[in-house]
Amino acid sequence: MNDRVIIRFEHVTKQYDDDPPVLDDVSFEMERGKFYTLLGPSGCGKTTILRLIAGFIEPTKGNIYFNGKLMNGVPANKRQVNTVFQDYALFPHLNVFENVAFGLRIKNLDKKTIETKVREALRFVNLEGYENREIHEMSGGQRQRVAIARAIVNEPEVLLLDEPLSALDLKLRTEMQYELRELQRRLGITFIFVTHDQEEALAMSDEIFVLNKGKIEQRGTPKDIYDEPINRFVADFIGESNIIPGKMLADFSVEFAGKQFECVDHGFEPNEPVDIVIRPEDLEITTREQGKLQVRVDSILFRGVHYELCCYDDNGNEWLVHSTKKAEVGEEIGLYFEPEAIHVMRRVETKENRGGER
Amino acid sequence: MRKKLKISHLYLIVVFLILYTPIFYLIYYSFNSSGTMHHFEGFTLDWYKEVFADTRLLIIVLNTIVIALFSAAISTIIGVFGALAIYYAKRKQIKNALLTLNNVLIVSPDVIIGASFLILFTIVGIQLGFTSVLLSHIAFSVPIVVLMVLPKLQEMSPTLVDAARDLGANSWDVLTKVILPYITPGIFAGFFMALTYSLDDFAVTFFVTGNGFSTLSVEIYSRARQGISLSINALSTLLFLFTITLVIGYYFITQRSQRSSAVGGRK
Repeated sequence: MNDRVIIRFEHVTKQYDDDPPVLDDVSFEMERGKFYTLLGPSGCGKTTILRLIAGFIEPTKGNIYFNGKLMNGVPANKRQVNTVFQDYALFPHLNVFENVAFGLRIKNLDKKTIETKVREALRFVNLEGYENREIHEMSGGQRQRVAIARAIVNEPEVLLLDEPLSALDLKLRTEMQYELRELQRRLGITFIFVTHDQEEALAMSDEIFVLNKGKIEQRGTPKDIYDEPINRFVADFIGESNIIPGKMLADFSVEFAGKQFECVDHGFEPNEPVDIVIRPEDLEITTREQGKLQVRVDSILFRGVHYELCCYDDNGNEWLVHSTKKAEVGEEIGLYFEPEAIHVMRRVETKENRGGER
Repeated sequence: MRKKLKISHLYLIVVFLILYTPIFYLIYYSFNSSGTMHHFEGFTLDWYKEVFADTRLLIIVLNTIVIALFSAAISTIIGVFGALAIYYAKRKQIKNALLTLNNVLIVSPDVIIGASFLILFTIVGIQLGFTSVLLSHIAFSVPIVVLMVLPKLQEMSPTLVDAARDLGANSWDVLTKVILPYITPGIFAGFFMALTYSLDDFAVTFFVTGNGFSTLSVEIYSRARQGISLSINALSTLLFLFTITLVIGYYFITQRSQRSSAVGGRK
């Protein structure tokens, strides 16, 4: 086993009573010093994984290893991980300094060390001079930073972040995305970040785990996941996409929307039914004659950076197009795309039976 | 101004007048030099002097305060742990059952509680006196403390406990460094409530006091039966002022807890 691995899940299942499992036979490894994101809709089990790592809950089945040591049965206060909670969970009866010092005081460090470490941690999150503030005097973004300082002051090997940005407004959230990423690079420790926001996940992560119904649908770099979604769920969840049923005629040739197209995917059975994905920004508007596909514009929406066109082809498939060019509602237009823009997915494809090498 | 004085305001004023008039009537005549409650002759503090000269009465006052402080302190400790037990009860039915049992004790008449304690103490063989009064006061104060503390526990975000454990705190640290500081306003409120309940309790105490031991409310009752002396008015006035002080203290504590809960209860 390679010693870069810091967290390992072995066939971990978590089930409450007779309900369907929240986490269903999940196995994975995480390496030290990377920024991981667990991404999925609510109820997919992402927070469960976090709570299992933190030690707030125990797995029903399976083993969790930390640095190669079995963690089952080790209580949360004995684990080398710290958590930033969704509601920050700052202690309202303590001021900023004491909140950050909490973990150090538990460890009975001497006064001077505590003072130095707390100040350092607060400097790390740009909160110098706020030591004596009460928690209720701090804004949402500042509380967020206090929560991060309180966690990193204990020098954990892994920092768990449970949707920490969800309570912030859009502008602050984008700022914090940069800051968190920067913080992770400076600290060099593993971050495990839980979110349901795919943009957040794409912007920050070294690697994304896409979860659905207690299973990992796909793991990979943001680019992999965005460009090569493994199935309909991932394609749908990550970004906006056109998912059209089609048929793989042969290697490098696929049929959809009643036409035959050249593509770069291969390794499928002849005539295998597939789903094809084309991202809205990969579609270009041209004239009817020059386009590979002929569609009619149904509606148009100005989105700031681009126009969002909703079009229908002759077979009734819906096509979402992001373009800086404007078209008129009802206009017949052509859509052009490169063969590389077509991504072919096997129906109900999971990681195990993945085909279609590119 | 005219518009503001609605019927509802008028009603409120009348009700409060009716409720407070007897008390102020009593206070007023405690300064009467004539010794009766129907003809005010002149201002005097003699009755107050009489109260302070009465050593038996002063001992009883001391008894009452000692009982109140002890029972409030002990019932606060028991009540806090009771509230924690109810809060941490895993199954919902058990939680509700415990809470209902607790509330029944609050609403059940003092006479029944007093009588049942009398029976209990006679059967067990506890001599009626200081101990029996203290035990019964603790017993009827515990449910009140539980009721004051439990809402504070429930408003606490459970992630606070997770956060403390995450930072390395063991169960004892979690209790002493997070939970207890958080529910402190509730604990104080419970303590003060228990204190006032113990101070002015008559019915329960009446049943379980024995020879040679008495509390203020029982003493006032027996003196009033022997004939009216205005020293009782003076004593009642002092008692009333003391209670008012407690209520004001309680008010400031709840004010403070409201301010701090504006932070802690946020999601």
